[in-house]
Amino acid sequence: MAKDKLIDLINISKKFDDQYVLDELNLYIRRNEFLTLLGPSGCGKTTTLRIIGGFETPDTGSVLFEGKDITSLPPYQRNLNTVFQKYALFTHMTIAENIAFGLKIKKKSQSYIQDKIKYALKLVNLDGYENRRADQLSGGQQQRIAIARAIVNEPKVLLLDEPLGALDLKLRQEMQYELMRLKEELGITFVYVTHDQEEALTMSDTIVVMNQGYIQQIGTPEDIYNEPENAFVADFIGDSNIIPSIMIEDRLVEILGARFPCVDVGFGQDNPVDVVIRPEDIELVDPEDGIIQGIVTSVIFKGVHYEMDVMANGFEWLVHSTNMVPVGTRVGIRVIPFNIQIMNKPESEDEEAVVPDE
Amino acid sequence: MVKRFIEKCYLAMIFILLYAPIVTLIVLSFNRSKSRAKWGGFTFQWYVEMVKNEQIIRALSTTLLVAVVSAVVATLIGTAAAIGMNAMPKKKRTLMMAGTNIPMMNADIVTGISLMLLFIRLSDVVPFFRLGLATVIFAHITFNIPYVILSVLPKLKQTNRSMYEAALDLGATPLAAFFKVVLPDIMPGVVTGFLLAFTMSLDDFIITHFTKGAGVDTLSTKIYSEVRKGIKPEIYALSALMFTTVLLLLFLINKRGEEKKERRIPSAAALRVKRAVYAVGFLLLLLVIWIGYPGKDEEKQEQIVVYNWGEYMDPDVITQFEKETGIKVVYEEFETNEIMYPKVKSGAVAYDLVCPSDYMIQRMIGEDMLAKINFDNIPNYKNIGKSYIDGAKSFDPKNEYSVPYIWGTVGILYNKKMVKEPVDSWDILWDPKYKDQILMQDSVRDSFAVALKKLGYSLNSTDMDELEEAKNLLLRQKPNVQAYVIDQVRDKMIGNEAALGVIYSGEAIYVQKENPDIDYVVPKEGSNLWLDCWVIPKNCKNKEGAEKFLNFLCRPEIGVMNFDYITYSTPNEASRKLLPEEIQKNPIAFPGDDIISRCETFRYLGEEADAYYNKLWRSIKSK
Repeated sequence: MAKDKLIDLINISKKFDDQYVLDELNLYIRRNEFLTLLGPSGCGKTTTLRIIGGFETPDTGSVLFEGKDITSLPPYQRNLNTVFQKYALFTHMTIAENIAFGLKIKKKSQSYIQDKIKYALKLVNLDGYENRRADQLSGGQQQRIAIARAIVNEPKVLLLDEPLGALDLKLRQEMQYELMRLKEELGITFVYVTHDQEEALTMSDTIVVMNQGYIQQIGTPEDIYNEPENAFVADFIGDSNIIPSIMIEDRLVEILGARFPCVDVGFGQDNPVDVVIRPEDIELVDPEDGIIQGIVTSVIFKGVHYEMDVMANGFEWLVHSTNMVPVGTRVGIRVIPFNIQIMNKPESEDEEAVVPDE
Repeated sequence: MVKRFIEKCYLAMIFILLYAPIVTLIVLSFNRSKSRAKWGGFTFQWYVEMVKNEQIIRALSTTLLVAVVSAVVATLIGTAAAIGMNAMPKKKRTLMMAGTNIPMMNADIVTGISLMLLFIRLSDVVPFFRLGLATVIFAHITFNIPYVILSVLPKLKQTNRSMYEAALDLGATPLAAFFKVVLPDIMPGVVTGFLLAFTMSLDDFIITHFTKGAGVDTLSTKIYSEVRKGIKPEIYALSALMFTTVLLLLFLINKRGEEKKERRIPSAAALRVKRAVYAVGFLLLLLVIWIGYPGKDEEKQEQIVVYNWGEYMDPDVITQFEKETGIKVVYEEFETNEIMYPKVKSGAVAYDLVCPSDYMIQRMIGEDMLAKINFDNIPNYKNIGKSYIDGAKSFDPKNEYSVPYIWGTVGILYNKKMVKEPVDSWDILWDPKYKDQILMQDSVRDSFAVALKKLGYSLNSTDMDELEEAKNLLLRQKPNVQAYVIDQVRDKMIGNEAALGVIYSGEAIYVQKENPDIDYVVPKEGSNLWLDCWVIPKNCKNKEGAEKFLNFLCRPEIGVMNFDYITYSTPNEASRKLLPEEIQKNPIAFPGDDIISRCETFRYLGEEADAYYNKLWRSIKSK
């Protein structure tokens, strides 16, 4: 496992104006993985990326690259490349000159450079754009050029700082697949920063959820979605019902006065906990079949499903279902034990649920 | 439709207002007549004379040298400063911005004087800062830097900071990243800054005036020093050329902007042509500067520094003196006594010879600013007429400090076709017949002298009652006065625009040449006799050289050369005898003793009386 580590961040702290942006952060990145730093703005994800890229120096801690300390190495001596949020194409140069920039500095031969330009443009599906100017291209095209400009240098790691942030939804989705394809073809490590949980879930091998300078959870998209470790992660990744409850004993939890069987053990007896139930995991049944009963208070059609609010035992439950139940209907609520996720109460502010900012 | 028409009229009016003065200037530059009131036919003469005029070409080359060097240096410093400021946190940057903007907001005169004081202080320690060409360039760099910062900083703010980081990311060192990525991006701002600095430097008069040393003249200071004798047509020609150049530059810059908009990457050939054009332009500039600076080994040569009125010496006189003695004459000009006085007083430049007027000499003697002249070194002093030496006693009682150079009277210039009656008294200036027909001098002492003399008082009166009377008299005269002017009397009289005008005798000769209907008279009540003399300031560096030059100036044939050039009366009797008979007898150039005996010279009246005169004068002009 240790041999697999490409980048290792050890005890990284960074302060801006006396405020901690990163506090004792530890994280390693494996060779060839697609790792995403996910979190709301101000969580420290971009700073982490900039520390890896060499644009910021941590106040304490060190950055290892293939086992070597590169903490104080300037960006131009690191074997990695960055794709910036605002593309950062050189506006006074042609597309070809942009792509050739890094290669010319490395004094590559003219024919090598020409081959690389052709190859890179083909890779990003923009052959024939050599002599255009950057401001003649659309946002999506500019982003592809930025990627092409980075990858011709054959970096071991590509750092991407919210590269799709400025694109519209359709283009964003297209580019997501494009990036995954590129990752496959190049076989290099991607470190990706975003605040868009859907983007993170779609593309990543590993997601690192961050808030207020701390890592909240590291895991595969499935882990993060299905088994959030705290209220913040649960709330930030997808929609969820987070309900203060009491763990009666192993495999039994009391939610809003009603007892639900669950699968979790080890949370003690009569212990206050938080329960996470995803809205699509709630079944609406006839009142007498439910564990608790409530009344539907609103229904919104969302395309794939209906989003409904159900008032039951003083809590407004968020429910996603493909079957519509009209407003005012009395319903019963059921959740199968596997879909009830028990979490310890937050120990610090950064673990609390927040409204994710978009 | 009507709205359209009005809109067009309005636009036309604005353009007329903006460009009428320049069109006038250009037209006059082709006018064969020296007077701006008369069209003497089309000619290129002034352009030819301009090119031949060494002083003008030299001033032009100085101007360009100062502009190029100061703009280049200011662009380098200003761009670096802007980059530094851009990297600062916002609060600090705002503070820095305010700091660098102050020299720009500051009144030029404050900047000029403070720089001059600084240079004078510094020159005690570092001789390099003695006022001269270097100090002018320093001063121009100083006031140019804010303009560069102001045009580069916004461009930097527009620049995407990640562009610089992207360059680093792609392997460029910070230096390479700056030159390859940041600089090309902010280049339009840098070029604008350079052009702005260049123009500002070309334009400046006030700061240059205070920081320049003797013998250093830019076009603006050169032109200004000619105000007293009237601006020469060569200057019109030069101004017309400069305007055309600026117009051409503007056209080129706009053209460049259009190309940019078309968003085409210029072809390599087009780029090469463009570069060649720039290179040729730059070489031409260097050539002009080079031609203007023929002598490069002037440093070790003996020299004297002369400070004289504008257009008050034939340039050939200087050349001849330099050839004969090997002493280099550093020649500088001033436009009024009041401008000359503080420069000499400050000691910023050690002048060896200065040519002030009577009352100013009295003041300078009083303030112990002058050195006694060793007349043993000036045998030609004997050529100066006795009556003038006696006249000089009124301000230099023992004739120890001054050598008379030029003199004249103040009198009435009148157009014989418009004034049929004989003119012999100041009274005619109050005759209601000549309502709106009279030109008066826009100068306190000159105007009061007219009124005081008419009343039979001394023109140096400090008696409050007499002055009050004179003031009321001048107030009563106002309906008759077409304008209070300085050198326009000459041109307006030539152009038959006024019937009568108060003027210096020297100008009268010139006017008469241009318009034979004009005559000049010194009224019987008496008038002002003025005398400009050479004096040697106490802090001079080469007193012997100065005296050598004085002796040279007193030579009869040199006096004639100067008389031909200046047309003002000479006190040199030997020179006068060499002049043609009719000029010797010309009552304007050489009035008889009866006239001179009725005249008085101005004396310095002290600060208090000066202030009182000025107060009365303001009350007259404001009504």
